[in-house]
Amino acid sequence: MGIDWITVSAQIINFLILVWLLKRFLYQPVMRAMGCREQRIIDQLNETQEREQKAEETVQQYLEKTRALERECEIILARAHERAVQQKKQLIDDARKEVAEIREHWLRQAYQEKEEFLGNLRHQVANSIQKIAHTALKELGNAQLETQIIHLFIDRLAALDQESRTLLLKESEDTSEPLRVTSTFLIDAELRDQIKRVIHENLIKGIEIEFSQSSELLCGIAVTVGAGQLGWNLADYLNQLDQRVEDAFAPVASVASIEKSRE
Amino acid sequence: MTINPDAIVFWQWGRVSLNATIAYTWLVMALLTLISWLVTRNLSSGTGISRWQNLLEVVVTGIRDQIKEVSQQQPGKYLPFVGTLFLFIAVANLLNMVPGYMAPTGSLSTTTALAICVFVAVPLYGIASEGPISYFKRYVKPTILMLPFNIIGEISRTIALAVRLYGNIMSGTVIVAILLSLTPYFFPIVMQLLGLLTGMIQAYIFAILAMVYIASATSVHTSNDGQRRNK
Repeated sequence: MGIDWITVSAQIINFLILVWLLKRFLYQPVMRAMGCREQRIIDQLNETQEREQKAEETVQQYLEKTRALERECEIILARAHERAVQQKKQLIDDARKEVAEIREHWLRQAYQEKEEFLGNLRHQVANSIQKIAHTALKELGNAQLETQIIHLFIDRLAALDQESRTLLLKESEDTSEPLRVTSTFLIDAELRDQIKRVIHENLIKGIEIEFSQSSELLCGIAVTVGAGQLGWNLADYLNQLDQRVEDAFAPVASVASIEKSRE
Repeated sequence: MTINPDAIVFWQWGRVSLNATIAYTWLVMALLTLISWLVTRNLSSGTGISRWQNLLEVVVTGIRDQIKEVSQQQPGKYLPFVGTLFLFIAVANLLNMVPGYMAPTGSLSTTTALAICVFVAVPLYGIASEGPISYFKRYVKPTILMLPFNIIGEISRTIALAVRLYGNIMSGTVIVAILLSLTPYFFPIVMQLLGLLTGMIQAYIFAILAMVYIASATSVHTSNDGQRRNK
């Protein structure tokens, strides 16, 4: 056992050389390679993370787009639905209007036909009644229809109630016009005198009386003073006949009234 | 029987002689350098690496982790010195299996040289870490009376380092030599195997102790820094 200092010195130098050699050929290259690998792994991880982040962002973007498209789709569908509802309503309204127009046209036509029919009927009935009355009266007592009408009128004037008399009297005081006796036929002088006398005795004493002829009265006679009027007219009976005929057409009239209320 | 490789001289010129210690040291150096060069000339930084590269990476990473664990510092600047200590001693001891080879670590000259290297490296690392004044102040702490004891401690631990390695390796060789004369064939082989284990353990102990000494020289700086910061 002993220490050879020359060997010691040589070994120190050898060791230092070995340190340098291993540093040069072992530690540095290995550490560099490991560092590079670590860096590469870190880079790959970072890259993966970035890609994942980008993928996540892309997914988010697509989700946003999908949501936007869904919203847009809902809006479009809502608009289409609204438009369809409006169009449906419009079509229904148009159809209803068209039906209403057709029905109104039909009702108007029916009403006109009814009016026309009633007018014709009235004239025919009046003429028929007049002819029948003439014939009947001639056969019964050789009396004229007009004379009979005037007599009937005179009787009515004589039996006139107090209220009507007061009304006519008041009308005569309010106006300066003369009392007018209107008839559809010509009244002879004798009958005129009878009429004057009855009026002066039962209605208004001393009032001026004018006689006139008018075709407005269908077949009758009337006394007019101011706004007051009193008379007998076959048209009254015909009006009653009209009323009855109209009552017979009541279903048509009721349909027309329902349609008017609907409008 | 010669158990001291210093005594085996291959060539001599005056006082300078090429003995077995130096020759086998060169062999170990050549072997380490050659393997390192062969493996590291085609290093791959990718994921596909060769087995040899994997081996070297495992060795280097293991040494780094040990240094980091002991010193609690970044191992970069200590790796060449401590790592070379470990690799040199380990390979030198492992080659003991080869017939005719004599481990240079079985020479007190080699272990002394290595211990001197540690003896010099400790203050160098300490000074490099915290500066000369701060480092040398350690020797007069807690009082200047401790200066001789600290110096004796430094020298004695260096001697212990050298003698421990030398004693263990040399004793292994001696034991095998004695057993060969007493019970040849089988039992010496077992002792050789035990010698491999002992050799690896001694390499580990030497490197770890060197690192502990260096770490104690540099950790003073760190703890002082910590105290200063706390104040």
